[in-house]
Amino acid sequence: MNTNTPLTRRNLLQRTGGGFGMLAAAAMLERDGFAAAALNPFAPKQPMHIGKAKSVIWIFTNGGPSQVDTWDYKPELKKRDGKVLDGFDPKTGFFPGSVGPLMASPFAWKQHGQSGTWASEIFPKTAMHVDKMCFIHSCWTGSNNHSPALFMMNTGATRMGYPCVGSWVNYGLGSESDSLPSFVVMSDPQNRGLPKGSAANWGAGFLPSIYQGTWLKPKGAPIENLAVPASLTPKRQRAQLDLLAQLNRNALAESPIESELNARIESFELAYRMQTAAPEAFDVKNEPEHIQKLYGLNEKHCGHFAAQCLTARRMVERGVRFIQIYSGGMENQQSWDGHNDIAGNHRGFALESDQPVAALIADLEQRGLLDQTLIIWGGEFGRLPIAQKSAKPGRDHNPHAFTVWMCGGGVKGGYHHGESDEIGFKAAVDKVSVHDLHATILAAAGLDHERLTFKFQGLDQRLTGVENPKVVTKVFA
Amino acid sequence: MHRLLVSLLIFPALLAAAPTLPGDHAQRMERGLKSFQDDVAALLKKNCLRCHGGEKVKSDFDMATREDLLRGGSHGTVVVPFDAKNSVLVEQINHTKEPHMPDEQPKLSAEAIAKITAWINDGAPYAEPLLAGKKPKRDAAVVTSEDRQWWSFQLLKKVNSKSIDELLLKNAKGMTFNPPADQATLVRRIYLDLTGLPPPEGSDTSDLAALTDKLLASPQYGERWARHWLDVARFAESTGFEQDYDRPFAFHYRDFVIKALNMDMPYDQFVKWQLAGDEYEPQNPLALAATGFLGAGVFPSQITANEVERTRYDAMDDMLSTTSGAMLGLTVGCARCHDHKFDPLPIRDYYQMLSTFTTTTRSNVDVWPDRVTPAVTVMAKDKSTPLQAGATRMMICGEGYAPIVMHTQGGPFFEKTYLLKRGSTDMKDGEVQQGFLQVLSKPGNEKRWLWQPPEGAKYSGRRRSMSNWITDVDQGAGALLARVIVNRLWQHHFGTGIVATPNDFGKTGTPPTQPELLDWLAGKLIANGWQLKPLHRLILSSQAYRQSTRRSAAKEAADPGNALFMRRVPQRLEAEAIRDSMLAVSGTLDETMFGPGTRNENSRRRSIYFTIKRSLLMGSMVAFDLPEPLVSQGSRPTTTVAPQALILMNSPQARTWAEGLAKRIASAGDVKQQILRAYNLCFHRAPNANELAEGAAFLQQGGTPADYCQVLLSLNEMVYVN
Repeated sequence: MNTNTPLTRRNLLQRTGGGFGMLAAAAMLERDGFAAAALNPFAPKQPMHIGKAKSVIWIFTNGGPSQVDTWDYKPELKKRDGKVLDGFDPKTGFFPGSVGPLMASPFAWKQHGQSGTWASEIFPKTAMHVDKMCFIHSCWTGSNNHSPALFMMNTGATRMGYPCVGSWVNYGLGSESDSLPSFVVMSDPQNRGLPKGSAANWGAGFLPSIYQGTWLKPKGAPIENLAVPASLTPKRQRAQLDLLAQLNRNALAESPIESELNARIESFELAYRMQTAAPEAFDVKNEPEHIQKLYGLNEKHCGHFAAQCLTARRMVERGVRFIQIYSGGMENQQSWDGHNDIAGNHRGFALESDQPVAALIADLEQRGLLDQTLIIWGGEFGRLPIAQKSAKPGRDHNPHAFTVWMCGGGVKGGYHHGESDEIGFKAAVDKVSVHDLHATILAAAGLDHERLTFKFQGLDQRLTGVENPKVVTKVFA
Repeated sequence: MHRLLVSLLIFPALLAAAPTLPGDHAQRMERGLKSFQDDVAALLKKNCLRCHGGEKVKSDFDMATREDLLRGGSHGTVVVPFDAKNSVLVEQINHTKEPHMPDEQPKLSAEAIAKITAWINDGAPYAEPLLAGKKPKRDAAVVTSEDRQWWSFQLLKKVNSKSIDELLLKNAKGMTFNPPADQATLVRRIYLDLTGLPPPEGSDTSDLAALTDKLLASPQYGERWARHWLDVARFAESTGFEQDYDRPFAFHYRDFVIKALNMDMPYDQFVKWQLAGDEYEPQNPLALAATGFLGAGVFPSQITANEVERTRYDAMDDMLSTTSGAMLGLTVGCARCHDHKFDPLPIRDYYQMLSTFTTTTRSNVDVWPDRVTPAVTVMAKDKSTPLQAGATRMMICGEGYAPIVMHTQGGPFFEKTYLLKRGSTDMKDGEVQQGFLQVLSKPGNEKRWLWQPPEGAKYSGRRRSMSNWITDVDQGAGALLARVIVNRLWQHHFGTGIVATPNDFGKTGTPPTQPELLDWLAGKLIANGWQLKPLHRLILSSQAYRQSTRRSAAKEAADPGNALFMRRVPQRLEAEAIRDSMLAVSGTLDETMFGPGTRNENSRRRSIYFTIKRSLLMGSMVAFDLPEPLVSQGSRPTTTVAPQALILMNSPQARTWAEGLAKRIASAGDVKQQILRAYNLCFHRAPNANELAEGAAFLQQGGTPADYCQVLLSLNEMVYVN
């Protein structure tokens, strides 16, 4: 969990190991000419770029939603419905033995907004906001398998163990909250499992572990050890903390690590504050009725996702930097992974999330927070334009093309970037790699992906690897 | 003109790119040279050089010299002399191939394109580098004698000295050691350092040398120091990735490490067994368990057909990278895609080393009192060999046993290992045979380390061969092996290594602050038959170790990083030692050693017996900086965050420990006696008057003894060692 706790200069230097954080901290030290306040690795840092986003909410549509059934309109696919896709490599997807013919989207499509954006019928409420949304239709990735593709989308590497986007943002920007974790992850509360690879998707890898995502438990108390134990009372605990601080302070004077010990004294006070601040932030039932209604908090079909989106907004208001919400559980019918019955699968997950997502956009906008909050919607890969043979046809994994949309945080509304080919099989125009996408997300948060580095194994490591990815500058207004 | 021709002939890379020179090449080169001077140099400088040789070298493609131009970049050849048609550069500037060049700039004029094209057709000659004085990059595939000059690649220097203290004082810039810490502080320091547990009540601690011997001989020493090695070995008991399947028989490796340290197994043997225990003693369960080192890494449980080969290279890379990071402090993984940018580790060396593991796989075996039999383990459908009474199942990593089968659309390994350009299985560049790092091999007779297994053996001998090289002090990597381990010992005793980057002794690491001391200690280790305990004794008896942590502004100013070791800096205990200490002082520690672990936070066994499941690491450990066991970790960060405080304030375990301690002190007598006993148990000292008064007041004002004990367990002094 990441919380705003002061640390010593020595620790900080060890941790940030020569990367941007150290430079920023060193600059602060010089500027302020004194230690304690500047020694906090979560102290808000100056952005490197003119990115507007102070917070990021990433709605991770887990399992890989089908671009051609959601936001990437392909009339040609309808024309060629039932025809064999010549030259198709059956190893493209996960099931080489279930290759079917081209298959039109089972959904009705229509245009929305000034931008005339096409959207499938499964997002009636979100589609009302298309003029604020920016679509990238030409995303592609390298893996056709869930966990490597999830790791790629979250950490920029198909292997386990690299820092995720949220950790990098956290490392680069620090936190604006002094009583909440600065990077939180919410997973499916419907007993449908965790995304494949689970915690490795929000791990800090080689970055200091304080930058890892805090997974909020979907059932019960979201954060461990937050409640005063039954064998104590709040009053007695307060007395304990007073004695603790007193004894700790008495022993402080002659220590060569005074600031480190001071930080530890502070951490108990912060923990004490969190005991009230965190439950308050999670208390969505405290929202006025019209807000609850807007999100659909009490609707059976979407209440659970509404609570997560509403929690996300409350966290943004409280200065939390990075929030990731997984739509769907693990795989197959438990997530957007529509191998069978793509129509039923996607209709179901859209129904769960459409109203809450639309509400989140509207709510942030009405509070004047949309400009400084980047919303991202997308999964780890796309799906094939051909059918996966099944009693009710599905679609198999497709690493070659998928759509990600962004909203807020300074992106251009109603804008469509890049194109997939005429059947939505492969990214074709202005292709955007996952590293390009990451560079763009960092840019939106005011971070330069080439300068956001951390020394590890002798190298200045960065999120976006060594292949010179590009920020998709056109998405910014 | 002749100069150019000569340079043409001595660059084999160029000849490979242009196998036949056109008959009129001399005339064409002359024409090209003029064009270079008149136009092309200016064009390249203006449009290309900034990203390719000037401010940056994007895609590793440097145009500043002709040699580098023709060498190409990370995507392959860019310019073929005398052949514009086959030169990618020409396609890119014509915008017929992506990425279009110049990048994010307007297309060059037709005239400029024509000039560059003609110049390439004329052999792309340079009159001078585009940057004055620029020299072509040297061939990184060849390790030179200059490369061997790097300090860590050299043989151990003979250092004449009587002691650690003498060597440190020699460099101390006139400073002297802090005075020794008081006896009680030293006792607590030595206990926590060697065993990870605070001193128990009533033990005889008058003679520190005797105490050191006693603790080194105690089983808790192995439990403490094994944990340091398990970080380095990225040890865990699950596969990681999507399913994160348990490896229920992997704990034998953890037990091997504890046992080996407790019996003071010579470090060279410790290394040999971890790499090739099955090739040394195929019937010895302890030697087999040691190979768990190679198998402790992550491995996906679901592998699609087009991922099988890449996944296998990943698995071998995990074995090699962990071996080289843990044992040699080298980041060889960088050479998987290209010659190492900083260290003399060519890509070919990497793949030759990698081939050591071509046929190495994880397997389960059943250990009987008198024999070892293979076991079949299949993840997908349970067709595994049933475990019979009398046998113990053990995960090993070797050759010739049935590999553990995951959900895969391919086999467990490939018979051959290839050099992969840019690390890609689509760019194979010939099969490789086993070899070792050139820079750590005395040239000539590289076969000296190769070991032939006996007739009929089911293993290849390659890992044992590697272990011969890695432990060869005079001609192989043994000197570095010794330096790296003595540095790890020093690091854990002092908080910082002599080399501050314990897993990187290469050029991107930090050079040793005390090079003579490092070599002297390494020499001692080898002279002691690679036994670690004498080295611990040596260090713990030094003045350097026994200094107080007294603050000195002058020393802090003169040596802020304490590179001279003229004072001692308090260290925070690691996650395991914090929890184990609390269990110990609460009187509830269960000292049972070895065997399967547990994921129950309420367990009372030492923390090293927590089962390490990658997707579900123990919250109490992670909060206190247990690293993710994904790659070899040489040192842990020390963070101070609120979740640590929450554990001590609110977790059921913290309350249980506090209640345990309260129970222990209840029999001591009155409040004062109880406080005295609590301080003695927790901090191995008596409370001062102030502490006594504060404690008594707290208890009088309604705080329960358990509340009070919880405060003591949460004090800075409990988790910091002075």
